[in-house]
Amino acid sequence: MTTNRPLLLKLLFLAVSLTPTLTLLTWDGAWVWPLFGEFELLFQLEPLAAFFLLLLALGAPLVALPMARGTPDVPTYALFVLLLLGMQVLLLAGDFIGLFIGWEIMTWSSYLLLIRSTRATLEGAQTYILFNLASAFLLLAGLLVFYSATGDFQIAALTEASTAQRWAVFVLLGLAFLVKVGVLPLHRWIPLGYDQAPDLFSAVLAGLISKMGVYGLLLLPTLFPDALAGLAGRWLNGPTAGYGLAWIGAITAIVATFKAISQQDIKRLLAYSSIAQLGYVLTALGVGSSLAVGGAILQTLVHTLVKLLLFITFAGIILQTGQRRFNDLGHLIDRMPVAFFAVLIGIIGLAGMPPLPGFAAKYLVFVGLIDARWLLLLAAMMLSSTAAFIYCYRLIYGPFLGHANSPEARDATEAPMSYLIPQIVLMGLLVLLGIFPGWAIEIIVDPVLTALNLAPIGAPSWGELATPYGGYDGVILMTVFGSAFVIVTALFWLARGQLRRAGSPYDLSFAGEVPTADMPLHYGAGMGRELRRIPLIGWILAHTTTGIQAGLTRQTLATAGLLGGLYRRDPQTWILLAVLVLASVPTLLLLNGGNS
Amino acid sequence: MLHILLDSLAMIALCYVMGFLFRGFYRQFNARLQRRWGPSIWQNFYDNLKFLLKSETLIHGPMFFFGPIIIAAGAITTVLFIPFLKDSIWLQGVSAHGNLILIIYLLVVGPLGNALAVGSSGNPFGVMGVTRGLTRLMGLEVPFFLGLALVMLQHETASVQAIMAAQDSIAHWNLITNPLAFAVILLPFIASQNGSPFDVVGAPVEVYAGPRVEFGGRLLGVLMTQNMMMTVAKLVLMVDLFLGGASNIFELIAKAFALFLLTTAISATFPRLKTEQTVDFFWTVPLGVAVLGVILNVWLI
Repeated sequence: MTTNRPLLLKLLFLAVSLTPTLTLLTWDGAWVWPLFGEFELLFQLEPLAAFFLLLLALGAPLVALPMARGTPDVPTYALFVLLLLGMQVLLLAGDFIGLFIGWEIMTWSSYLLLIRSTRATLEGAQTYILFNLASAFLLLAGLLVFYSATGDFQIAALTEASTAQRWAVFVLLGLAFLVKVGVLPLHRWIPLGYDQAPDLFSAVLAGLISKMGVYGLLLLPTLFPDALAGLAGRWLNGPTAGYGLAWIGAITAIVATFKAISQQDIKRLLAYSSIAQLGYVLTALGVGSSLAVGGAILQTLVHTLVKLLLFITFAGIILQTGQRRFNDLGHLIDRMPVAFFAVLIGIIGLAGMPPLPGFAAKYLVFVGLIDARWLLLLAAMMLSSTAAFIYCYRLIYGPFLGHANSPEARDATEAPMSYLIPQIVLMGLLVLLGIFPGWAIEIIVDPVLTALNLAPIGAPSWGELATPYGGYDGVILMTVFGSAFVIVTALFWLARGQLRRAGSPYDLSFAGEVPTADMPLHYGAGMGRELRRIPLIGWILAHTTTGIQAGLTRQTLATAGLLGGLYRRDPQTWILLAVLVLASVPTLLLLNGGNS
Repeated sequence: MLHILLDSLAMIALCYVMGFLFRGFYRQFNARLQRRWGPSIWQNFYDNLKFLLKSETLIHGPMFFFGPIIIAAGAITTVLFIPFLKDSIWLQGVSAHGNLILIIYLLVVGPLGNALAVGSSGNPFGVMGVTRGLTRLMGLEVPFFLGLALVMLQHETASVQAIMAAQDSIAHWNLITNPLAFAVILLPFIASQNGSPFDVVGAPVEVYAGPRVEFGGRLLGVLMTQNMMMTVAKLVLMVDLFLGGASNIFELIAKAFALFLLTTAISATFPRLKTEQTVDFFWTVPLGVAVLGVILNVWLI
């Protein structure tokens, strides 16, 4: 019996990881939980929440599968289950109380999961929990202001509130969700947290937990109908409040992209790229039109799939080699071909190249920006999305191409099956969504748009993405590219002549010399260093936001010191004073005859 | 179906023939400017055939082989998504199913396929060249795309065919109606053609480094073929967008050649910039003009 317990435990864990799927498929109607007084918790499945539940349903089992490998780690399993519960509560909640409860469960369980990593440092853990608690308290403050304005916690349009209250709710809730999404300068916890978390848990952090911030941001149009335009009017063809939001997103994307290029550690690079990708989402949400929000939703989906794929794949590589820096890997293409293809598909999705769905998402956002006439934002987005090619290239060159740069990289083998299955599933999903962008629009994006009171984008056929500005056909694109590839390969083989593989990896055109094994031929670490010579990038990379945060720390300490000055060394005095006040006030009231 | 196949073949063939003739002209034009005789105008065709018929090709692993194939497939796809003529059922390819933004992204498939192959070769100097190329791409895309966005905004569509159809007479050419967009795009366009002064050093020139350093034999032939085709495809795209498109092949060749002559003359005049100088230049001068264009077109009207 005892031998079967680990197996049973794992099966149970995997079964629990399927609960989001189950919730998504079976939840109908509303479930009311009476709380106190007139308050009750309402749980229902709105189309917007259903989209994020879909992400959870896709991601949870795919991460749980490799997590279930090896000896069962009961606390990790329990915390993961708690995390899933928290996220489901958050998504199903029809009022802010449920949302807040779910948010707190998610924050604490993810924190406890994070510090189970052997790499977690005090700084990383503290940063993670401080930022996330700040997010939770901002949410709390926002929902209290919301309650004071409406007298209800239901998530509904904020119509009767004064301008000050509306702005207060907008700023407080907006900040709470922006911390979770990780815009600059509120991003410090992301590179530290994603870097130090257990390798597989990073996939959850980047793929699923960060999306809860996007969910929150998508609630804002529900609170402020007419796509935020009610807040501060319109600028060109879009809402002014959204214009500010969009620039925050665009600057975040640019800075985070250049930071990503300069990282030496794979997971840190992926963390910065997550910040950048969610910056695009924020830009698109700022536009608020149906095209742009459609693009944001699609981008959220693609980013979830891509980041799950990349983090799981690199978790496999770290598992097999123990190395996580670009400098220490190299030439894994022959030994880990599946991982190579996974990362190849991943970076094509990340870079937004056709034919994968990242392009469809970018296309919608671009067209949305042109439609809103926000062309400078378009240029900013283009800058970060082409600069992203460079870090994407590092992601594939560093580990897979070039020369093996450590003994572990020289004799690594493919990751175990439980890592490969999620990789293959995610690759398949990405390719399918790329071929059928119209299907993604019709089935996944349009219900959410309708729920947000936006016009659905619609699709003439599964393969076709259509907008008023024109569209493209994913099936034809894939067919043309595939046939061209096959025909060119066939012609190459049919032509006379032979291919010969170089005798040794050192058989290179090397300026007349013959390089030897002890020559450093791998270009993984240095790549991108020369970018600093470009003034703008040099300036961005020379500055960090730590200065702002250090200043904030100093101010907080100074305030605390000021308060501490009031506080005497001997607590007895204070306690005595408190007792005296507490005793005297009722006495005075009694003496007054209770007519107050 | 047969129509599309024939049409596609015709487009690819036209691109190839125009490609080696234009490139041959370029070599002779440059030679005459430098008071040399220069090679024959057919020289690029001979060179290409020689490469494609080499009996032996050295490769460094599977990705090294598939990289050039990906680039060539990307080039063919790009060509087929660009409409060559207006008001015609010929030389359209599958352009009805694509749009300008898609074409811009397809243009990037080449550099990325190249990056994979070069990385696979294990030559650090090759990878250095790739990084330079990607850096330049980052520099040029921003003003290039902003210029195109001005055109897309002007016509409220991303469809190349619709933009071409809207320019029905010389007075309606985008070159005339939107000269600022053309001015913004011209220099990044030269860079995307790898023309001086924004070129990235190719393989065995004076510096023994660059993206092509490891390629030889038939793979180099494939790379050269796609390069010539892409030169023409990009020229045709510019003709479609700014010079009112073309109604027949001769008009197309004439307009493309005029544009080619302009860019060649600019290239022949200025010496090469360093990559970081190129990027800095693109982010100041063309981008500055583009921002001016945005302010004029969007904010003031």
